[in-house]
Amino acid sequence: MNENLFTSFTHPTLLGLPAVVPIILFPTLLLPTSKYLINNRLVTIQQNLIQLIVKQMMAIHNTKGQTWSLMLMSLIIFIATTNLLGLLPHSFTPTAQLSMNLAMAIPLWAGTVITGLRFKTKSSLAHFLPQGTPTPLIPMLVVIETISLFIQPVALAVRLTANITAGHLLMHLIGSATLVLSTISFSMTSLTLMLLVLLTILEMAVALIQAYVFTLLVSLYLHDNT
Amino acid sequence: MPQLDTSTWLITIMIMMPALYLIMQLKLLNTVYYFPPSQKVPSTQMFNNPWQLKWTKIYLPHLHIQHY
Repeated sequence: MNENLFTSFTHPTLLGLPAVVPIILFPTLLLPTSKYLINNRLVTIQQNLIQLIVKQMMAIHNTKGQTWSLMLMSLIIFIATTNLLGLLPHSFTPTAQLSMNLAMAIPLWAGTVITGLRFKTKSSLAHFLPQGTPTPLIPMLVVIETISLFIQPVALAVRLTANITAGHLLMHLIGSATLVLSTISFSMTSLTLMLLVLLTILEMAVALIQAYVFTLLVSLYLHDNT
Repeated sequence: MPQLDTSTWLITIMIMMPALYLIMQLKLLNTVYYFPPSQKVPSTQMFNNPWQLKWTKIYLPHLHIQHY
């Protein structure tokens, strides 16, 4: 039972070769680049969306933080397209793999921390002690703040993995339940089918939201450190 | 849980790095946001008046008239 549920999260192999390679690279194919003054509709929509997202996300940063805008934009586009593509039936979602999310989260978080330590050393170290703490609590609070700092990348990665995995798992379960119920009674089938439809809509929202949250948190860590 | 099977971690990470940091960024860098072509301000002057305007002041329409 356990093995059956999780088989959609195993790495796909094509004749023994890892098929992950084209799967991860596939979302980049969906973003055409064209340098015309007036593009076709797809390119125009994509460019307008990217411009909207850039303006929304990078407005809170100062000049130094805005040097990260290319990185954050590629991050949010990558995660959003990968998550949305994973909602197609029988597809493999790379962002449901802990390996990939850790490899995304740790370097980005480390980059923000190192930026803060390099340019604003005292100020970034001062984040460890909130204002107005009573003196006896200071050592314990520094320890707690350090732990909460080091848990940030792990939380980023695990949050994305768990959300996507849980959503896909839930869709699998309710889908198979619908299939089983279809031979038994019609009303339960339609109820479950409706549940599945609603869940799919939720999953689309979750796909986008998770991308947003990931990028937002990285940008927040950046804001603290620039 | 298959996500914890570390044998596949290396290939995933190795292919994600260039996909994210190289290809996505190149795609975004190659989008060109052209400045919308600026409109030329149309000249509001309708006539070229070679004579002195004070002789015909009351007969000309109310425009931004360039005085010679």
